Amino acid sequence: MRRPRRLLPALLAAAAGAAVACGGGGQREGFRVALVTPGSIADAAWNAGAYAGLGQVRDSLGAVVSHVEARTPAEQEEALRTYAAEGYAVVFGHGFEFQGAAERVAADHPNTVFIITSGERVRGNVAPLVFRLHEASRLAGLAAGALTRTGVIGFVGGIELPPIREAYEAWAAGAAVTRPGVESRFTYLNNFDDAAAGREAAHALIRQGADVLHHNADAAALGVFQAVRETPGTWIFGANADQAALAPERVVASAVIDLPRAILAVAREVKEGRFTPRVESFGLASGVIRFEVNPRARAALPDSVWALVVRVRDSIAAAAP
Amino acid sequence: MSAPSTFDLRPLTTSALALAAGLVLLAAGLAAAGHDPAAALGAMWRGAFGSWYAFTSATLLRATPLIVIGLGFALALRGGALNIGAEGQFYAGAIAATWAAFQLGALPAPLAIPLTWLAALAGGALWVLVPVVLKRRFGVLEVISTLLLNFVAEALVSLMVQGPMQEPAGIYPQSAPIPAAARLPLLPGTRLHAGFLVALALAAAMAFLLARTVWGFRLRAAGAAPRAAELIGRVDAGRFAGVALLASGAIAGLAGALEVSGVSYALYQNLSPGYGFTAIAVALLARGHPLGIVASGILFGALEAGAGAMQREAGVPSVTVYVVEAVVILAVLLADARGRSTPAVAGA
Repeated sequence: MRRPRRLLPALLAAAAGAAVACGGGGQREGFRVALVTPGSIADAAWNAGAYAGLGQVRDSLGAVVSHVEARTPAEQEEALRTYAAEGYAVVFGHGFEFQGAAERVAADHPNTVFIITSGERVRGNVAPLVFRLHEASRLAGLAAGALTRTGVIGFVGGIELPPIREAYEAWAAGAAVTRPGVESRFTYLNNFDDAAAGREAAHALIRQGADVLHHNADAAALGVFQAVRETPGTWIFGANADQAALAPERVVASAVIDLPRAILAVAREVKEGRFTPRVESFGLASGVIRFEVNPRARAALPDSVWALVVRVRDSIAAAAP
Repeated sequence: MSAPSTFDLRPLTTSALALAAGLVLLAAGLAAAGHDPAAALGAMWRGAFGSWYAFTSATLLRATPLIVIGLGFALALRGGALNIGAEGQFYAGAIAATWAAFQLGALPAPLAIPLTWLAALAGGALWVLVPVVLKRRFGVLEVISTLLLNFVAEALVSLMVQGPMQEPAGIYPQSAPIPAAARLPLLPGTRLHAGFLVALALAAAMAFLLARTVWGFRLRAAGAAPRAAELIGRVDAGRFAGVALLASGAIAGLAGALEVSGVSYALYQNLSPGYGFTAIAVALLARGHPLGIVASGILFGALEAGAGAMQREAGVPSVTVYVVEAVVILAVLLADARGRSTPAVAGA
């Protein structure tokens, strides 16, 4: 039992020495913007889009940028707190789940603006970007209802957060317009990064008869695309980014959030001192939310359906606040 | 997993060499991938030990559940059982503690907090009770049963935060914040909670129990050589393994309570970034020694805290730190296996 007793003081001494040696660290000058994502930026969707936005903030605004991935609530709060303590001007908490942590941290750091993408409400220096992606998911549903042969469609969600649920509900409602009585099935994976679970869920939906799928599951959706590629006669609608490249012959269209555009716009406002905390909501009318049809799969549906999609898109955009 | 109590520096040297090997391999990998290894490792060091705040609020905060769960794993291991289900027991404890916190929120903190701990200990023990019974009655390997119950526990948390324990507005998949009386005090100016002291006290208690008490001696005997303990010492080795497994589950449950009442203040689905599995590595690196687990827990806490800083400052994905952790474990296991005449077989 003697060894550990020697190890612990040694570690503590080393830590104290390091604290003296490397106090501070990192640059403190310039306009600095940070991004905290809830998962890997290799998801080809939600997190990748935000990371691309961060790159544009660096290139267009000359900002010093930093990114970190934080999966658990504890890590998320720690990441927000660390960036704020280091004097970052803007910290993006990339997802609904950051709202509570940002509100706790923001009270101690009034000089940092916290932007919660897909957030909920304004609290002091915490402000949300709301993406009405469900408007595009509704269009996907319209097309899916016309496309399904079996009359069964499937949706794979990550965690059952309000924006995810809204996307599902709009998708199902859209499909019911073009295919009355359509059977809408869904699965929530309870995470956003287990691609194997995404693939299993997609296969389960396909076994239940679903031949057209949609998702909102970030990196886990890579498994959904795999399942579609593995099963002839199935189609998929992408989400969050234009995902046609993930299955070029089978992706009909994608419900897209132009995250770089939204992120760059907010960061620019803060840099120029024009930012006021408010709920900034983006729908189809803004151009930040888009419905991107994959040209290679366009022939899967008759022009009359695409014309309907365009009509509904225009009416949603016109009705936007 | 023998317990050399003689003065022997070799295992410590092995661990240090294993860590060095892991870091060198990481540096090589970073260089190969086009990153600056010095900048990355420097950022890692600063993130873990660079300031009092980083050391307490990042390193020690992460180390706390690793130490507590690691101690539980080691206790089971010493008693001859392999508890791979700490992740599930952690969640069972977190559910129980959250539930208790809402029932007891009106009590004063000195009363409410220990009671939430009791609830969590019970929750963790309950979660491992089925594997214990299966093992004692039917000889079902606890490695399998405890592992599988992890998935059940995760599903149960999902059910809880979307059903009976969801916050009142019914929007977020999480519980309401627990009452202030059930929250652990923080070290001023940091995010480190009193749970770290609990971890230290538990380590001291376990060191005493194993090294200085007859019960601890019997437990170690039952775990190290069950047949011999039964024949010579008239020790019921199976019973000791069962008790050790139960205690181990209870301790993992306690870690869940500390995380809820010290860090998250609410029940979430992804409360743990895999503490229950990392803690196995923590315990193995320390070879099951309670005080060694404190040190290796802090080391792993530092690695994961440093990983965050490495990503923030040097743009290196934080998951690369798992390379270091894996190399450390493999190197230690390899060294141990080489140091024995027979292959290392842990547990029963």
